[in-house]
Amino acid sequence: MEKEIKIITKNWGQINPNQIADYIAVGGYISLEKFIKEMTPALALEEIKLSGLCGRGGAGFPTGMKLESVQKEKSKEKYFICNLDESEPGTYKDRSIVDCDPHMLLEGIIIEALIVGACKAFIYVNGNYQKQIAILERVVGQAQEKNFLGEKILGSKYNLEIEIFVGAGAYICGEETALINSIEGNRGEPKLRPPFPTQVGLFGKPTAVNNAETIANIPWIIARGGKKYATIGSKKSPGTKLFIINGSVKNPAVFEAPLGTKLSTLIDEYAGGVQKGKEFWFAQVGGSSGRLVLKKDLNMKLEYDREAKVSLGSGAILVIDKTVDIHELLLSWMSFFRRESCGKCVPCREGTFRLWEIAKRLQDGEISERDVIAIKDILWTLNNTTFCPLGKFAATAFGDAINNFQKEIYRLSK
Amino acid sequence: MNIKINKKEYAAKDGETIFVACLRNGIKIPTLCGTKNSHEGVCRICVVENNGRLITSCNTKISEGMEIVTESENISKARRINLELLWADHAGKCVTCKKNQKCELQNLATEQKIENFHFIPRKEELTDRENLDLLKDNRTRVVVDEGNACISRTTELCVECRRCINVCPTKELSFNHRAGDVVVGTPYEKPLDCIFCGQCVKDCPTGALTDKNDLLEIIGQLNDLKKMAVALIDPAIMDSVAFEQEEITSQRKLIATLQSLGFEKVFDLGFGMELALEKMTQVVKNSTKNNLMLSHCPSFNLFIEKYYPQFRKNIIDVTHPDELMAEFIKTEYAKKEKINPEDLMVVSISSCVAKKTPVKSSSPSEISKGGEAYFTGQAGSPMAKFDGVKNLDYVITVRELGWIIRQQKIKFEDIGNADFNSGLAVKNEKIKDIIKAGKTAEMIAEKLKVKYIVADGVPQIKNILRDLDKGRVETKIIEAMVCDGGCVNGGGQARQI
Repeated sequence: MEKEIKIITKNWGQINPNQIADYIAVGGYISLEKFIKEMTPALALEEIKLSGLCGRGGAGFPTGMKLESVQKEKSKEKYFICNLDESEPGTYKDRSIVDCDPHMLLEGIIIEALIVGACKAFIYVNGNYQKQIAILERVVGQAQEKNFLGEKILGSKYNLEIEIFVGAGAYICGEETALINSIEGNRGEPKLRPPFPTQVGLFGKPTAVNNAETIANIPWIIARGGKKYATIGSKKSPGTKLFIINGSVKNPAVFEAPLGTKLSTLIDEYAGGVQKGKEFWFAQVGGSSGRLVLKKDLNMKLEYDREAKVSLGSGAILVIDKTVDIHELLLSWMSFFRRESCGKCVPCREGTFRLWEIAKRLQDGEISERDVIAIKDILWTLNNTTFCPLGKFAATAFGDAINNFQKEIYRLSK
Repeated sequence: MNIKINKKEYAAKDGETIFVACLRNGIKIPTLCGTKNSHEGVCRICVVENNGRLITSCNTKISEGMEIVTESENISKARRINLELLWADHAGKCVTCKKNQKCELQNLATEQKIENFHFIPRKEELTDRENLDLLKDNRTRVVVDEGNACISRTTELCVECRRCINVCPTKELSFNHRAGDVVVGTPYEKPLDCIFCGQCVKDCPTGALTDKNDLLEIIGQLNDLKKMAVALIDPAIMDSVAFEQEEITSQRKLIATLQSLGFEKVFDLGFGMELALEKMTQVVKNSTKNNLMLSHCPSFNLFIEKYYPQFRKNIIDVTHPDELMAEFIKTEYAKKEKINPEDLMVVSISSCVAKKTPVKSSSPSEISKGGEAYFTGQAGSPMAKFDGVKNLDYVITVRELGWIIRQQKIKFEDIGNADFNSGLAVKNEKIKDIIKAGKTAEMIAEKLKVKYIVADGVPQIKNILRDLDKGRVETKIIEAMVCDGGCVNGGGQARQI
């Protein structure tokens, strides 16, 4: 396996992200030109399907299939949305993409939007990313000047308009139906599926929503072909992935590694291993909603796989050492979900609130028998009855912690 | 399409939900957030199992090969936990609640045998000073709104089912805040100032939205021997009074019940309807103008006042039948029967919530002068100061009547049947049709041989007013009723659970 393969980060630190000329000098917008001059949308879609690229937002849905279902819709009005609502705690890969190579993202957005036949593309940015919003506005302007965007792109029949939509920073708006609600001006809440957004999406029109990191892979795939992309990384989910390694490691940062890399390799080789004097306890893979991986499972491969026990999620890896107070961690997870639940359905709204209450009592060592039963009940209902996956996410880490570290958690309880 | 429900084969219609398919086949699934017209899937109590997976029955459409199970260990577990989470904020509050015994949450909790108290209530009514402690304690903010004459609102008892949000024709209510802090409220938490159609109160499963009235004061006056209590029965309530108290199966039984509550006289509102129709006919006849709007629906008057003030002058100034009849009782009837009007208490039992808004009593002289007396100023608006003699003392809804009956512990086995008191008889029973949308205009038009337009429900009303604004419509009279189908579906009716 090639370790040094770089797709998304290849220009990071090499070019000035504010200069479109720099990006063009290293081969930027060649893919867009290739798409416009040599390919049809159907052909480009075929390349993406061949590549086996799947969504990098967390669910890992095959991107080609999503684009195809929007492409085949007959509606005149279609939309493409770049999901840049990154609000998973400890995740900053999309932000880094905008910081280091915004034009690559933009090129991907333009190509994908043209593939599905969208008349307008949105970039849904987390409202906390003020600096990134300014960057995006600048690069959109630059691309327009060069006619990579706007009417009759590079002299072709394609037209595309891009709007940067600033969200209010709600976690749930990263979920595509909630994101669509938010752009429409409604409360950021998930909608019932079916109908899927690919059929009835933004303003009732077919809409493709892709994560920013997914989109950043597109120029490479168009330039070098889907077949080549499929050879990188694991068989089930080809390509590279940005991993964000935080916590008790020597150099926490964003790393690009092929999918299928072992967790131990990421921690030891990419992030420099656990900090000196500290002992590895467990790692949380996939952000706040991620599962806990113990020392004995460190050899697991990280890839998008429906059957995998540990879902890769956004690619955030939090390394916890033995000095960390598990109660504080529980409370921090629950404070997050207690705040970020949209409040629509009963189990999530009430359940996350009650778990947060109990987490506070756990920290104070005032937990009673009643709470122990309540934790079980709430985790069960969050796992089984909530409207959208957020409920399940809220229960994942908490449930894992309760299962694995029962002794430590109930240590203080009377 | 064939599906299996509880291992039995059923034929189901394409496009219907599991909930509807089950209900049609006599399998009842408990739900808290669903109504006839809206299914949000937020309460997660209507869960059923499909091939071993829990799904909500209210918003999942049936598909070929489904194997639905409506009762299982997991299903009752899900219902129990979700109900327990909601019940935590209600436990112990039932005795003082207006919706006691008529609360869907209470019913469900009894049905599912929720007896555990795993959670501490967090919603308590707080004053400003206590707000500081709020951060220390896990209490959530509670919004109490008593700023109008018709609807009491408290989020303390709210289960966030969204029925009120979905049913509201003018979209006054919505979710404020997020997650555990969610409250149903108006924009910026301003006091509710709507058209008071009352549909939200009708649909509310708990005591969060209730009719506003001082019922204890009414009970006090009923027991006061000096006061003579008069009840007016709106024919519209006969449709739903049995939903509130199943023992009241007929009008004669209702009259007897009212008498045993302490009402000395019980009259048919049909008499007031005749008065109103006569007056409206007179005004229409005397007016040279076109596009006159009938004013017997108080919600519609408020709708015009609030959203289409340019049509204020089109409304003919005849108040609703209840007020006219009360005025008649306090003047001519009292004179005839030699009763001091001040000793009279007139209570109208109505299917309308908006009638609770104080009205300026229309003086009969103005109407007889020529009929061009138009709706003026603040009259009819909920905050209007009332001056002069109050003709109609109270308007109570079917729900409130039920509350009084339960409060007074009426023993139905002792109650027989009775007829309306004499004196204010209805001349023609056909008049009672005016509770249905369109009938008033039809009757007036028949008499005067003029053209008319009818609208029921806010969407229709909006369409007509838009046409009117653009000059696309020209007619003599316009009748509009805010509740779909008229007073029969009024916001004051009891809901069949």
